[in-house]
Formats: sequence, C-alpha cells, structure tokens
Amino acid sequence: MASADPFDSALDLLRRLNPKHTTKHLQSLISLAPDLTEDLLSSVDQPLSVRRCKQTGRDYLLCDYNRDGDSYRSPWSNEFDPPLGSGGGAGSEGGGGATPSEKVRRMEVKANEAFDVYRELYYEGGVSSVYFWNLDDGFAGVVLLKKEAKPGSASEGSWDSIHVFEAIDRARMTQYNLTSTVILSLSTRSSGLGDMDLSGNMTRQIEQELPAESDEQQIANIGKLVEDMELKMRNLLQEVYFGKAKDVVGDLRSVGSLSEAGRDREAQRELIGSMRR
Amino acid sequence: MAALETIESFVEGAPPGEALTVSDPSLVSKLGPAFEKYNEEQFATVRLPGSSQPIIVSSHSSLGNGRYYDVESSSSFEYDHATQKASGAQSYVLEGAQADLTKSTLKSLSPYVKEHFPNAAYGVYPIENDSKVAIIIVANKYSPNNFWNGRWRSLYIFDPSSGALEGSLKVDVHYYEDGNVRLLTSKPISTSISSGTGAGIVKEIGNAEKKYQDELNRGFTSLSEGAFKALRRQLPVTRQKIEWDKVASYRVGQDIGGGSSRR
Repeated sequence: MASADPFDSALDLLRRLNPKHTTKHLQSLISLAPDLTEDLLSSVDQPLSVRRCKQTGRDYLLCDYNRDGDSYRSPWSNEFDPPLGSGGGAGSEGGGGATPSEKVRRMEVKANEAFDVYRELYYEGGVSSVYFWNLDDGFAGVVLLKKEAKPGSASEGSWDSIHVFEAIDRARMTQYNLTSTVILSLSTRSSGLGDMDLSGNMTRQIEQELPAESDEQQIANIGKLVEDMELKMRNLLQEVYFGKAKDVVGDLRSVGSLSEAGRDREAQRELIGSMRR
Repeated sequence: MAALETIESFVEGAPPGEALTVSDPSLVSKLGPAFEKYNEEQFATVRLPGSSQPIIVSSHSSLGNGRYYDVESSSSFEYDHATQKASGAQSYVLEGAQADLTKSTLKSLSPYVKEHFPNAAYGVYPIENDSKVAIIIVANKYSPNNFWNGRWRSLYIFDPSSGALEGSLKVDVHYYEDGNVRLLTSKPISTSISSGTGAGIVKEIGNAEKKYQDELNRGFTSLSEGAFKALRRQLPVTRQKIEWDKVASYRVGQDIGGGSSRR
C-alpha cells in the first residue's frame, strides 16, 4: 500500500515532530518498526548522556560510537563500564570490546586533551569526549561536547555538539569528511510571558583535504575543522532561533497597525514616484 | 504504549501546515478521533465552496456529527477531519440569549483582526448553553519553499455574568532546512471587562495581545543574551581562535578563561 520507504518516512516524521522530544519519538518509532532500530539509532542524533568514569572520576559522554552492547567506553581510562564479559580474553580486537588500535588510541588520548582545552575556552564548563576508530584507509572519530545552562531556573538551556568525521589517507594529504549536528534547547517562563520554548537541531557537512604528516597535525586539522564548523553553526543557530523565528511571529501578527503601515508604504511610493518625474 | 496510541501522538504533534498523511485506509478510519482532536485544537481553517473567507473548525463551533457552523457567513458544513475538506454547506441562523453579544463582538473583532493579522480567520460562538461566549483568532503563514511554517492561536472565553475574560495565546513556528527547529509558546490570559460589550471585549483582547507580543519579543532577546550566550561563547575570552599546534601547551584552569591573568 504505502510506496514510501519506511526508513525515509521515519526520518521525515522526526524532522517534523517537536525536536525537544526526539528521544521519545525515536523510541516510539522503534517500537512500531523494530526492523529499523539499528538504522535509526545510527542516523538520528539525540541529546548526549553523561557518565562518570570509575577509574579517573572524570565525566564522559555516551553515544553509539563508544557503546558495546550495554557498556560504554570511557575516553579517559579506555575501560568499558560495566566491564565487558570475562570471556573477552578471546577477543582478537584488543581484548574485549571495540577499542581503537594502539596508534589510533594514542591520537585519541591527545585529541581528548586538546578538546578538553577547547571545551574550557568556548564552553567554560560542560563535558567533552572524543572517540576514534580505525578505518581500512585511515581513521574516523566523533567529537562530542555538552553544556547545560542553569537547569531548573526560569531560563534554561542545553547544547549538544556531535561532530562525526572520517580522515582518509591520500597521497601526502588527508581527506576529511565532517558531519556536524548541534542540538540546542532553550526555554524560559515568567508570569508576563508564560512558557516559551525554542528547541531544535541543525546539521551541516563539509569535506576538505589537508596535509597531515604527524599525529599532532591530524589533531590540529580536526580541531580547526570542528572549531570553524561550530562558529558557523553558532551563527546559523543564532540567526534561525532569534532572527527567523522572531520574524515569523511578526509575520503572523503585526504589533503596529497594518493599514497605517500600508499607508506609509503608499506615501513612500508616491514620494519616490514624484522624485523620479 | 499501543501502536495506535503512538500514531495518535504523532498526529497530534504535527507542526502548523504539516498535517500528517496516512496511506493505509483502515488506519485512517481508526485515527479519526485523533485527526478530529488535532483539527479542533489547532483551529483548522477551511473554505466553503464559493466563499473566500476561511472558517474555523473548533470544539466551540461544533454541532456534533462532524458538522460545524460559522456565524459571520450564517452557514454550517460537514468537515472531513482526515482530508481537511468541507462539504454539505447549509444556512445556519444563530439564535439564543448570546446571539446579540456574539454578533456585536464579531463586528468589532473583524477590523481588529484586519489591522493586526495579515492572514487570519476568526469566529465568535455562544457556548455552554448560552452562558458564555468563545472568541477565536487563528493566523497561519506557510512558507514551505523557505522551509518554515507558523501559527498564532488566540482563544478567549467571556463570561457575561462575571465579566471574566479567560483564555490562552499560543505560537507555534517550525523551521526545517537541514534541521528541525520549533518555537512553542503558551500564555494564559485572565482578565475582566466592566462594560461587557463586544467593543469592550475586543479592546481588552487588543491590549492583552499587544502586551504579550511585546513580552515575546523580549523573550527572544533574553534567551539570546542569557541562556544562549551562557552555553557557548562565540570566541574564547582572548577573542582569538585556538592555536591548535600549540594546544598541548595551553594550561587549562586559572590561566585560561580567568580573563585578567592571560598567558
């Protein structure tokens, strides 16, 4: 009966329903269409959860990329929590659970340190985590940042950045493909205003080739790409949330009188017309 | 949650101008109540054949059995909630204790709506056994080519015996170019009117809506200057982008972000 692809229909629905409740809608869709579970979980970005690393006491972020079954890998200790089954001794890929190769893990450690600085400079708080994994012709990773502002107060907000990239080896250059999503929720309430909620997510992609002759340069390249992308997206979010949305409200209802505005425009037209003559 | 309930929640959550379409006919009939609830709550508008004025579908203008009426055009019609189309228009003459107040309110409401809403429908209906009057304004602006749609809803219930005017103002804006952004607002209104005339009611509505729109515009500014800025800076305190080749030498903590004690 339905000719539309169920996966496309599910994504279309998620682009229309209230983005504040994406996680709930995602669970509903999965219960309706269990076949789509893996595809939806890997392609729909949700607000990130925070967990404390048992080994280091530092917070880290959870996503599909550091998940193995019900366990998550801490970027600070490289350990899974809860620990993966003790039968893992047989695991050929680095002793139980999906962990990057030694070389890529070394870069991952440095990237986590670098983005921890980035987080402090731009977010002045929050949590960051970086996860890398091996590819046949390079490596890939995800840079995660999360910050919450004044939860529980009259005006609150949360920001989640999810930057997924591939770094593919080319002759002397590295090809970077970056897909970035920012999930931004803002709300405020007061007796005069009532409830106001501005929530959503936006996604952008870029591709770029850059020279990368050392691990440090790889991390610097990824850092610059993410930094530029976040600056661009922050400006875009500002424009859409506070410019576009506000303009639409003004298009729906005019604070001033429409007939007066019409008369003013008419008078202006006449004035310009008379000047041309 | 049962599958039907889940789908009903999707129907009810559809943004302005983006009502859900369902291709399975047996599901369409099962979703009848959800479509009805959505259309009545969203103040769906419909044009009767041969008329250019949009007419509101709401629980306050319902005659039961899928029929609704409109005072200004003195007509009633059948409404299909799944296809959002009207048919079977008949003449409908308003009678009863609140007929005069209803008509005088409509008369004052019409120029007010034209002065402030470029594209809106409005209606006034006696409710609760002719004891009260419901006033509705709904303004829609759909711009799918630019990936956004918006709706403003005003609902007021006037009680002539007490002079109380209560209601709610709601704004719903959806922006969906490479993303999904939603503005949802809701403001309860509770005030009273001494004169109790149609002109007095509309004057009070005008005051409440102007005040609310000013508050809403301030809300945008306060979220932008407050929560948004507190989440992520545009640039670090140093006003410079990070020197990534030196990032290992940055010392996190009091040296950075402390403002005065810069490296």
